[in-house]
Amino acid sequence: MRNKTYNKKKMLVVFLSALLMIFFLIARLVYLMIFDAAYYQQKAKMLHEREREIKAARGEIIDRNGKVLATNKAVCTISVIHSQITDPERVIQVLADELGIEKEMIRKRVEKVSSREKIKTNVEKETGDRIRAYELDGVKVDEDFKRYYPYGNLASKVLGFTGGDNQGIIGLEVKYENYLKGVNGMILTTTDARGIELADTLEDRVEPVSGDTLQVSLDYNIQEYAQQAAEKVMEEKQADAVVILILNPKTGEIYACVNIPEFDLNDPFTLPEGTDSALNDEEKQAMLNQMWRNRSINDTYEPGSIFKVFTASAALEEGVVKEEDTFYCPGYKLVEDRRIRCARTTGHGAETFVQGVQNSCNPVFIEVGMRLGTENFYKYFEKFGLMGKTGVDLPGEAATIMHKKENVGQVELATMSFGQSFQVTPMQMATTVCSLVNGGKRITPHFGVAVYDAESGEKEETISYGKRKQILSKETSEKMRRILETVVSEGGGKKAQIEGYRIGGKTATSQTLPRSANRYIGSFIGFAPADDPQVAAMAIIYNPQGIYYGGTIAAPVVRDIFDNILPYLGIEREENP
Amino acid sequence: MDYTLLLIVVLLVVIGLVILYSTSAYNGQVKFHDSFYYLKKQAFATVLGIVLMLFVAGMDYHIWQRLAIFGYLAAVALSVAVMLFGREINGSKRWLALGPFSFQPSEFAKVALILFLADLVTKNVKTIGKMWTLCRIMFWILPIVGLVGASNLSTAIIILGIGVILIFVASPKYAQFALMGLAGACFMGLFLALESYRLERLAIWRNPEKYEKGYQTLQGLYAIGSGGVFGVGLGNSVQKLGFVPEAQNDMIFSIICEELGLAGAGIIVFLFLLLIWRFFMIASGSRDLFGALIATGAMAHMMIQVILNIAVVTNTIPNTGITLPFISYGGTSVMFLLIEMGLVLSVSQVVD
Repeated sequence: MRNKTYNKKKMLVVFLSALLMIFFLIARLVYLMIFDAAYYQQKAKMLHEREREIKAARGEIIDRNGKVLATNKAVCTISVIHSQITDPERVIQVLADELGIEKEMIRKRVEKVSSREKIKTNVEKETGDRIRAYELDGVKVDEDFKRYYPYGNLASKVLGFTGGDNQGIIGLEVKYENYLKGVNGMILTTTDARGIELADTLEDRVEPVSGDTLQVSLDYNIQEYAQQAAEKVMEEKQADAVVILILNPKTGEIYACVNIPEFDLNDPFTLPEGTDSALNDEEKQAMLNQMWRNRSINDTYEPGSIFKVFTASAALEEGVVKEEDTFYCPGYKLVEDRRIRCARTTGHGAETFVQGVQNSCNPVFIEVGMRLGTENFYKYFEKFGLMGKTGVDLPGEAATIMHKKENVGQVELATMSFGQSFQVTPMQMATTVCSLVNGGKRITPHFGVAVYDAESGEKEETISYGKRKQILSKETSEKMRRILETVVSEGGGKKAQIEGYRIGGKTATSQTLPRSANRYIGSFIGFAPADDPQVAAMAIIYNPQGIYYGGTIAAPVVRDIFDNILPYLGIEREENP
Repeated sequence: MDYTLLLIVVLLVVIGLVILYSTSAYNGQVKFHDSFYYLKKQAFATVLGIVLMLFVAGMDYHIWQRLAIFGYLAAVALSVAVMLFGREINGSKRWLALGPFSFQPSEFAKVALILFLADLVTKNVKTIGKMWTLCRIMFWILPIVGLVGASNLSTAIIILGIGVILIFVASPKYAQFALMGLAGACFMGLFLALESYRLERLAIWRNPEKYEKGYQTLQGLYAIGSGGVFGVGLGNSVQKLGFVPEAQNDMIFSIICEELGLAGAGIIVFLFLLLIWRFFMIASGSRDLFGALIATGAMAHMMIQVILNIAVVTNTIPNTGITLPFISYGGTSVMFLLIEMGLVLSVSQVVD
């Protein structure tokens, strides 16, 4: 059969339609590859690129003299990449020998078909370097940081520690997280669909920025000495706990904050020896939280007689009592139907107000409290800053637990006057006393002082704590200093006396709730020099065995500390006391 | 002989092998620890195909008029055989195992059908305008379409398409084809509506990013878009590293776009266009209708497969598995394509 003209026409029709469709597809390609290209390239890039973080070095924490309290240790993470291993037996042998891990454990990971399998983290740098020196195919040694605390348990509850991904968990490590953490860097690599990095692609690298150095007001030497003193008295008195706070009463800078028992910051998840090992996770966590608690800030207590500093200051300021006013103590005082006893059950007899403070005489303070009245009591409680928190730069500060004003009767007013039936934190009590004797300015207790750039060492920020508010007149504050000096020179605080130093202070002994348990807290707060306080120290001993009077057990602790740190702080002994 | 056609075919085959190596090296390495795995098999089939092509090109094509019916029967028999004894690869039963080789009967069926229909249509050309004749020819086409379609719908559609184009070219009429087109569209609509998974395919086509099954399409688009004007360079595709699954198969064109860019992809499309143009020239230059229909069949085959493949890869139409001639991996395919080229070359020997 001939190939006719109409057949050829039809062939042309077919060819032309093919041409048309192919042109249409070319147009489609142009659209996809030029106009949509950016969109798809972006999508593809996101799919191909894997980010690998480079950890930023966490900022150091240094004490007031530049001593490093928290730093980083270079460690290594050892991992294997299945597809790159050429000699699995040797890899298993070397890693088992160097890391001291069971061969079978390593074999499992080496033989697992995955992009990257971690063998061990936090490997000492020397070990990592040795493994790297074998130059085994498919074995990766990555540098990493681990937080390290050179002094172990020193100020553990203040400094705090960090977790697995280097973020702060408690203490200053949490509070100053934003300064300390730095900015992690990044390595961008291209991978195939299985997530395996391609060998010949250029790495995009974003360098990490180290965290800032935080300077705190702690003084390593004072902290260390106070900790030893606290451990000593804890041992002697078989106490539950000992808290020592040492601060600058004018600035609020905390030189030492000891909370015995401390814990090892380099091993914060291990409970103390002798703890029941059959705990479930929840119980264990509760125990850990208990171990990490900073009593001086996270817990409240009944301050007892140290609180009389407040009552005295308020009464003198309000003018309801004068230093030479006389009182009579028969050993108790009747308030409504209640007979409230004095510490000396036989009574102090006739005494002036100043002697009442020296004797820490409850009936005197009940009387003074009554003269103040509930309204004024609350006015000064508020004004002196006791109602709120101190604003210390540690997380979890506990608030004051106080009666509602409308519920306060004569009995409550009486007990509050000598520091019972309400609770504050040790930090709040120490801060208030400091503020009342420093000339009357309310301070904010704090640790953080300044922030420095880790590389250049230049100061980036001085941490400020606002203006100090005048809460008590200079005159009353001066009177209080004078009175409290006599407490040490003549009264209940005699055991804090040091030859050549003028020391002011107040003792306290309080019974914890429930009263029937007969558990006590003995405490003492002292400051020196009494006429111009440069340093204040408070020691609190929880549940001591045997003698529990603050003046007997806590005052010597402060005396011992002062004896050592006053010369250290450059406070001169007076020739003729 | 049409040396331009020969040159284009050789060019496409060579370029095809280079691209196949580039796309398949990673998958070969991952699956068989041999980056040359796919290339070796394809090269063997190509060499065999070229020998057969030259052999067929030298023959008088009229001999096939007598052998066409046997080719047809063999295609039917092989299609039945694959249904019974076929080997499954990637979930499809399309291959017959012959010792170390596997053979895809549907590729043979395409060539056999072109010859068979060219002969059948030539013999019935006087009454081709009549409905009855159309029905008779369809009666021969449908069994093979059905048998192939059972395992490989895309190839069945290609075979049907080739048949329709051959009849269209042979017939002096137009109107009835418009009617056929309309009927075909209705049939497709019904077909889609009956099978909900095909409707799902439509939904994926519209929005590949929203469906898990749109993964392959989307990865193809990423590859195409990543190419830009000049591509990332031969061998440098990232999408072929497992992102586009089985990159050496149906989606190979997307990797061409990524590596060679719009420029490279354009050149390949242009080569196919030249190829189709040569088929057209040979078809319209052929003295007798049988030769013209062989060339037309080859043209129909080539254009349908190239257009559908690129349309799928660019997500212009819903996804269906169609390979790109000469370039996608497939030994049977490249061998029978080359034999088909041999047939067209032999037709080209006797043009005006």
